[in-house]
Amino acid sequence: MNLNLTQHFCALTMISTATLFSINASAQQIGQPWAETLEQAKGQTVYFNAWGGSDRINGYLSWAGKHLESEYGVTLEHVKIGDIAEVVSQLEAAKAVGRNKDGNVDLMWVNGENFANMKHNELTWGSFANTLPNAGLLQKSASITMDFSVPVEGLESPWGGAQLVFIYDSEVLETPPASAAELLEFVKADGRFAYPAPPVFHGTTMVKQLLHELTDDKTALTKPVDQVDFDTVTAPLWSYLDELHPHLWGKGKSWPASAENTRQMVDDGELDIALSFNPNEASAAVRNGQLPDSTRTYTFTEGTIGNTHFVTIPFNAKAKAGAMVVANFFISAEAQARKANPEYWGDPTVLDISLLDDEAKAQFASIDLGPWALPIGSGKTLPEPHASWAEALEQAWLKRYSN
Amino acid sequence: MTRLTGAVIALAFFTPLVFGILGSVIPAFGLMPQIAAGNGFAELFADPRFLPSIWLSLKTGIIATVIALLLTIATLVCAHGTRLWKFLIASLPPLLAVPHAALAVGLIFLIAPSGWLVRLISPGLSGWSRPPTDWVIPDSGGWSLILGLVIKETPFLLLTAAAQLSTIKVDAALRIGRTLGYAPARCWSRLILPLLYPRLRLTLLIVLAFNLSVVDVAILLGPGNPPTFSVFLLSLVNDPGSRSVASAGALLLALGVGLVYCCVFLIERVIASVAESRRESGHRGTAMKTFRTFGQSVIASIQIISIASLVLLLVWSFTHRWRFPHSLPTEWTLNHWNGRSAEFASPLLTTLGIAVVTLLLAIAAAVAWLECERRMRVPRIDWLWYVPLLIPQVTLLFGWQAIALLTGADGKWLTVVYSHWVYALPYVVLLLAVAWRELDPNWNNAAAVLGAGYWKVLFKVRIPLLIKPICQAAAVALAVSVAQYLPTLLLGAGRHQTLAIELVTSFSGVDRRIIATLAALQSLLPLLAFCAALWMPRMINRHAA
Repeated sequence: MNLNLTQHFCALTMISTATLFSINASAQQIGQPWAETLEQAKGQTVYFNAWGGSDRINGYLSWAGKHLESEYGVTLEHVKIGDIAEVVSQLEAAKAVGRNKDGNVDLMWVNGENFANMKHNELTWGSFANTLPNAGLLQKSASITMDFSVPVEGLESPWGGAQLVFIYDSEVLETPPASAAELLEFVKADGRFAYPAPPVFHGTTMVKQLLHELTDDKTALTKPVDQVDFDTVTAPLWSYLDELHPHLWGKGKSWPASAENTRQMVDDGELDIALSFNPNEASAAVRNGQLPDSTRTYTFTEGTIGNTHFVTIPFNAKAKAGAMVVANFFISAEAQARKANPEYWGDPTVLDISLLDDEAKAQFASIDLGPWALPIGSGKTLPEPHASWAEALEQAWLKRYSN
Repeated sequence: MTRLTGAVIALAFFTPLVFGILGSVIPAFGLMPQIAAGNGFAELFADPRFLPSIWLSLKTGIIATVIALLLTIATLVCAHGTRLWKFLIASLPPLLAVPHAALAVGLIFLIAPSGWLVRLISPGLSGWSRPPTDWVIPDSGGWSLILGLVIKETPFLLLTAAAQLSTIKVDAALRIGRTLGYAPARCWSRLILPLLYPRLRLTLLIVLAFNLSVVDVAILLGPGNPPTFSVFLLSLVNDPGSRSVASAGALLLALGVGLVYCCVFLIERVIASVAESRRESGHRGTAMKTFRTFGQSVIASIQIISIASLVLLLVWSFTHRWRFPHSLPTEWTLNHWNGRSAEFASPLLTTLGIAVVTLLLAIAAAVAWLECERRMRVPRIDWLWYVPLLIPQVTLLFGWQAIALLTGADGKWLTVVYSHWVYALPYVVLLLAVAWRELDPNWNNAAAVLGAGYWKVLFKVRIPLLIKPICQAAAVALAVSVAQYLPTLLLGAGRHQTLAIELVTSFSGVDRRIIATLAALQSLLPLLAFCAALWMPRMINRHAA
């Protein structure tokens, strides 16, 4: 029985590898004229796999979908997922069984360790990003060319910026804690704080933030984790967390499900401080009736971790031309200005505004962040540690704190 | 209906079960290197979450099942024959139809430190101007998960028990017991429960399997770190390169559930022998009014909690602003229903499309099977239909997903419908079987004498006479399909965003008011289906007359 089944699988694998050789003659090529890409994209459906946990982001994408449909004839399907690592895992499986075309995913939202993983396993399609017409408008910053210390090399196209910020109600808290040490004092004095448990993304970021502040060897963080003495570098972090956890909401045994959850809990009064990876989140939330008018946003005095997020096309995407059109639209002035507007999303732009025409400049200038968002110019950005740190920190954290 | 039809149905139903197990076994031992490298067991045992999550699953699953069983028995003893009983029998089926996830969301809004219960008594009665910090939801001990499971599984057990009472002539037994001088509770424990329990056992095992391995409710109500074993496994199967570990875990889960079944059988033996010696003692016992009142109030509070959770979903879905400690929203809005109808239309239609096709296929298969059975073309295999409900869903689904990935069937609409069909068919067959077998054969004979052929008899006589149970079974099939989270998630490859998927994946991130609207929508579908099931037979019969 078992033997038969294995033979059956082998046969199936052979069939799927066989389809590999029937290459489509009109397949999308990197570097072909943009007009040809637009022509091929017409009528294609682009399955965009992206985190679906924020209704404002979902709303922004349905706006983008309408625009892409009417202007380019491209249908954008937002496939809402909980964690993009799931999709990387699906692609790995597809690669292993040789399903090299007509994959389920045309475009996906990634960065950091997932990108590093995709790059390492050759799950990306190729160096398409620099060939997009709008790529010339991008900022020339380190976080756009290096994704968590891993060279991007055009394998993914930037979409937005992000920085860890803290949100609080100024009617409840007068001066919120502005460093790791102050945070510890704050919770010991019955301040209400908690962060999501790693490997939830924002939880891992909070742990990285604390590590960056507490460790004696900051340069170690830019290197792959197997090239440094992990235990020594992280020792101050663990002794800090050991002291912090008993004073958290949930006593270090229950954890908020996500950063968005902490925002809801600040509104409810269960927490005093919420985490966000979007400096303008509070601005949108206040307008939307989710936080009080007295809400304010700040960072730690020495700065907080920030990064860029990207979109990439997997190796086996079906609608590659359509995916390129979507990626290019995402970095158009129009799409980025709407995205930066907290009424719709409030995600910091990746464009260099000085390179835009006057109309687009005016669009960006008209965005009103209100008193609730992180004041522009405040809050230094600290670099993400090398992509390999996330997994190592998560494992070490789980080992210590999984009850 | 030929023997071939029966064979096709049985094959369509049992093949996935075999493949589901194989699809978990093979990767677990590293025999499917294309999609799962390495031997999963070693890596699983080394994971720091392994033991704590197993312990949590056992604790929550077993405690929830024991409480649900005790409550069921207490309700039978304390409430049977009262006005409360009539209310329960009428109000339980619609509550049973509400998807677990939606009810769990409502429960969180109710019992959290900033939830409705605390808001109602704050700050006036409690003195709390900010939410208390004495408890958190979800709690690390898993008690909120246990509560969520109890309020959903007790009605299921209770209704099964109520349906069985008529088959064991409970009123006569009570009369005889009373005549012999036994207190009412003793009549139950000495005369009725020994007859009832064997008829309840299979349902109890289904509840146990569900409680030990549920995923969606555990994501919503269970502790996050460590999560329950099934949720932990789901995070592994999603993690690049960890499929073999997840498959190994899924196998252990199935084995663990099997072991717990064995324990149930052992405990049954012990209780049975104790009960027998006590029966022989002849003690009559005394009536305990306080016990009766207590039992009645417990089951009544469970009903109230469920109903309040559902009402709360509706309230939040019309809320614009509602801060602690206000008892009701300070600003209301129609926006979540009105302004977002376009966003909700897509998951609603996807859900309905899958559910309607699932229920049609399930009804067709069940009718065909029962007809084959009536004409002795296939054997009666009642207990075999329960098999998919007795194996943890995680175990079967990981296997199906592995096979689907290999064959390219993942992400296909039909694959998702197929998986829903496998989970809906058992309920449909078992619900219809009772009515099908009871229908007086003289109807057939009369029609046949008048010259009607087999198909004419089936469609003009049998099905119209049985339209009521058919509509009820269809409503149940729809409710089962609407609630399916794991099959849609793992086989749908993200392509089929049903309400269940939207609700669970977006729960932690999205606006509470939107979540409430989604959950209310997900609850309304099966409730409407149940209303339709009551109304449609009348309409059809009126037209026929």
